[in-house]
Amino acid sequence: AVRAAVAAMLSLDFLDDVRRMNKRQLYYQVLNFGMIVSSALMIWKGLMVVTGSESPIVVVLSGSMEPAFHRGDLLFLTNRIEDPIRVGEIVVFRIEGREIPIVHRVLKIHEKQNGDIKFLTKGDNNAVDDRGLYKQGQHWLEKKDVVGRARGFVPYIGIVTILMNDYPKFKYAVLFLLGLFVLVHRE
Amino acid sequence: MAAKSGRNGLLDKWKIDDKPVKIDKWDGSAVKNSLDDSAKKVLLEKYKYVENFRLIDGRLIICTISCLFAIVALIWDYLHPFPESKPVLAFCVVSYPLQILSQLYQKEKSIFLVAHRKDPAGMDPDDIWQLSSSLKRFDDKYTLKLTFISGKTKQQREAEFTKSIAKFFDNNGTLVMEAYEPEVSKLHDSLALERKTK
Repeated sequence: AVRAAVAAMLSLDFLDDVRRMNKRQLYYQVLNFGMIVSSALMIWKGLMVVTGSESPIVVVLSGSMEPAFHRGDLLFLTNRIEDPIRVGEIVVFRIEGREIPIVHRVLKIHEKQNGDIKFLTKGDNNAVDDRGLYKQGQHWLEKKDVVGRARGFVPYIGIVTILMNDYPKFKYAVLFLLGLFVLVHRE
Repeated sequence: MAAKSGRNGLLDKWKIDDKPVKIDKWDGSAVKNSLDDSAKKVLLEKYKYVENFRLIDGRLIICTISCLFAIVALIWDYLHPFPESKPVLAFCVVSYPLQILSQLYQKEKSIFLVAHRKDPAGMDPDDIWQLSSSLKRFDDKYTLKLTFISGKTKQQREAEFTKSIAKFFDNNGTLVMEAYEPEVSKLHDSLALERKTK
């Protein structure tokens, strides 16, 4: 059955280019694919270095900050040590042990002489503050939990990310097709 | 036994060196690639030159190193979470574009074949033939340039032709070797002949 499938594939024209390739050209196709992945990776890591944030671009996942941010908005973050956190400002933070960053506003701050802070957050569109979201027994957030501050945003574009996460099969299908295209197509 | 010969049979069916080249005539890069490949075939098969892979290998190595840098950055960042991995990441990120730039610079010269003609007497150094070509986007004029570097005198001579690709492909997009091969041979012979008359 496998032989029949391979024989069927051989009759398809789109693989002709690949069949004509010698070892070096085949390796080059694979390298091409690797270079595209590497470039994307390097751009992401580069953004991390430049902005100082672990996650320089985040998507707003819930409507808890409406009308300022809506579900699907894309936020560009920086995380400079010099940026002071003040009441009323919007920060993006991560709760210890959870992966998903949250975008909310700072409600209260306790500040020590040496600059250490403890702060409380709340989403504009939420009825209560975030204490319910924090870890068991945790009442305040600290600087180490901050992923960054929003410096710019693009509305709605993040919906694609939300879709890809809600329908992972769709994501894998798109990635698979893109990968196949790069591997088979010569520059 | 039957299984092994079966697999070889499949491999033979996979390689299609003799099938005439058929491409999408509107796809500029496919056209250029097939013309380049066929010119290569003429020089390597008809005149029996030996391909020198150094240029291509160099490109492959640069690309492989770039990918390695990216992988190293990825793994380092995974093992040492973000703030500590900053210097390593910064180094990888800065060196990556440099490698890409060096690669692009090489591609600028658009040489796709370096072949050697070994001296039959075995005494003189090899003559070198280089093929480079260009086909502008959305244009139909294909330029093939053949460069001959004499092993003995180190003198360089070149010849080129610019023709419309319509002269080499039929309506279905099949490359007509009977029209293309003489052009390549003419280019080659014009350089080879000059050499003999000296």
